[in-house]
Amino acid sequence: MTAEPAERAPALEVTDLNVRYGRVHAVRDACLTVPAGQVVALIGETGSGKSSLALAAARLLPSSAAITGRVAIAGRDTSGLDRGEFRRVRASLLGCIAQDAMAALNPVVPVGRQVGELFACHAGMRRQQAAEAAVAALAQVKIRHPAAVARLYPHQLSGGMRQRVMVAIAVALSPPLIVADEPTTALDVSTQAEILALIGELQARMCSGFLWITHDMGVVAELADWAAVMYAGRIVEQGPVETIFDAPAHPYTEGLLWTRRDLRSGAAGAPLFQIPGSPPSPGEEPPGCPFAPRCSRATQVCVEVDPGLEPVRRDGGDGGSFGHKAACHHPVGPSAGAPAGSVQGSVEGPRP
Amino acid sequence: MARGLIRRLVFGLIAIAGVIVLAFLLEFVVPGDPAKAIAPRATSLQVLANIRAQLHLNQPLIVQFADYFGNLLRGNLGTSYIQHQPVAAVIGPRLLTTGVLALAGVVAEVIIGGSFGILAALYSRVRALIGALNLTLLAVPIFVLGLLLLLLFGFKLGIAPVSGGAGAAELVLPALTLGLIGAPWYAQIVADQMQESLASSYVRTAVSKGLPDSYILRRHVLRNVLSPAITMVGLDLGSYLSGVVTVEVVFVWPGIGLLAVNSLHNLDRPIVMGTVIVGAVAVVFFNLVADVLRMFVDPRTREEV
Repeated sequence: MTAEPAERAPALEVTDLNVRYGRVHAVRDACLTVPAGQVVALIGETGSGKSSLALAAARLLPSSAAITGRVAIAGRDTSGLDRGEFRRVRASLLGCIAQDAMAALNPVVPVGRQVGELFACHAGMRRQQAAEAAVAALAQVKIRHPAAVARLYPHQLSGGMRQRVMVAIAVALSPPLIVADEPTTALDVSTQAEILALIGELQARMCSGFLWITHDMGVVAELADWAAVMYAGRIVEQGPVETIFDAPAHPYTEGLLWTRRDLRSGAAGAPLFQIPGSPPSPGEEPPGCPFAPRCSRATQVCVEVDPGLEPVRRDGGDGGSFGHKAACHHPVGPSAGAPAGSVQGSVEGPRP
Repeated sequence: MARGLIRRLVFGLIAIAGVIVLAFLLEFVVPGDPAKAIAPRATSLQVLANIRAQLHLNQPLIVQFADYFGNLLRGNLGTSYIQHQPVAAVIGPRLLTTGVLALAGVVAEVIIGGSFGILAALYSRVRALIGALNLTLLAVPIFVLGLLLLLLFGFKLGIAPVSGGAGAAELVLPALTLGLIGAPWYAQIVADQMQESLASSYVRTAVSKGLPDSYILRRHVLRNVLSPAITMVGLDLGSYLSGVVTVEVVFVWPGIGLLAVNSLHNLDRPIVMGTVIVGAVAVVFFNLVADVLRMFVDPRTREEV
């Protein structure tokens, strides 16, 4: 029957995920797929729910968070597993790379053991074997003198080295999914580039799918195959990364891109582009589109009806680009001009 | 690391010297004539003068201090006015007795307080209960708690000795008293530290590795809780060894605290000085030991000192 290998199940499939902290609805009806071996960037500003979504999928949120919805990792429904069952399989299903490696590594345990305990716990290795496997894992993330580094404590390593250790932990068991929560934000620019190159290389070799949380559009353009944009707890647009960059459909995405484009190409001293207004405060739940108060394209329907995430069909009738979805009543056309934003010069002052 | 320790040791020695000077001066502020305490009542003035001369009490304060300090540097703590024995011989056995009580007390408070703290951190349901218990224990004076325990277990139930002494059976109640009085501090610090650790990013990493809960607690949480607890143990051992007067008095435990109080009454200055010095040395020594132990537990402290 199974003559030809079936297509690999998606690394991550999230269906109708909701996360609530008390009255705050942090993630609302999110559906997201990370295809096997591909990188999906989850973009959004602080408080947009992107970390909540990723951590909920990884089941790393505190028990005070109420989570509903279905999560499948590598074709396996993990939302049905109880805590103990999930604990046993989680390391072989997904790895996590945290933003701040200094805080994410235990200060009083040598880094070699922090890597090795994974092998000891899941690969059934003895202590000695696990220690050797840890050294090999550190070598894999291009740490020089891995045997010596394994004996050091996190505070004795540089920021880049610590992040490499985090990566080594995440990829140790070659999981099909890796959740990376802004893994380069805390690093300086040159180290950032090294870590990005390393992760790119490992990703190509291991064929893991990545859910990459970031607000750095440069990283998105460089690494990601797909992008999903979050705003006020909702995924407002998703699609292939070129489509999102070249022809965003949601006015918020367009605004995000313009804030960056402006930085790149704007003349020195020219005012910076800003999306007017600010996101709704957590706990506030307007009936319509959450972006409507800040959107120049908004009409009465935007304020009253929450737009669902729908496939984008361009006005030109080209049938829509594959996989491109947006939650907007009045999506931006493929050849839109200046974005619906404002220019506020005096607030920011001259750029460095 | 070694340099930091040497620096602390030097500061400790300076502190001890300061304590010696202060204690010596204070003894002369205390009204009373040791000669009168030594001699029988109605002794002639001549005899009293002889006693004073014999003890060099008629010399200027600075000369007496120089004599005492010189002897001290040669390891001689002097001779008891009352017992006519070398101070070291009087204090030695008392120090041992107090040491047993101090150690038992610290073990008790670590066990009681530590388990309170761990329970409070892990189970939110008992947190309020333990908090109330902590407050109650903090509010009870140590001698009241001691007397209550003595009344209950000694007189009512008759399962603990009430006559005083330094045996194993006599140890239980005073050690329990010290343990209960000290427990709230340990409970609070362990609970705080543990809750902080449980909410930390590194525990989240450990969870993301799929490690068993018990392993995470042992390897990742408790090691981070240990460091402040060790500091507290060092402080407690030091201060208990300088005499747990109240407990020793209530339970008639023949320790150094009881000796110090009696000697103060008798104006037996060499003994009082001896107990003060022993206490100061104990405080400095156990703080130093705690620092060294902390270096083993928390690698970050190795570079800070």
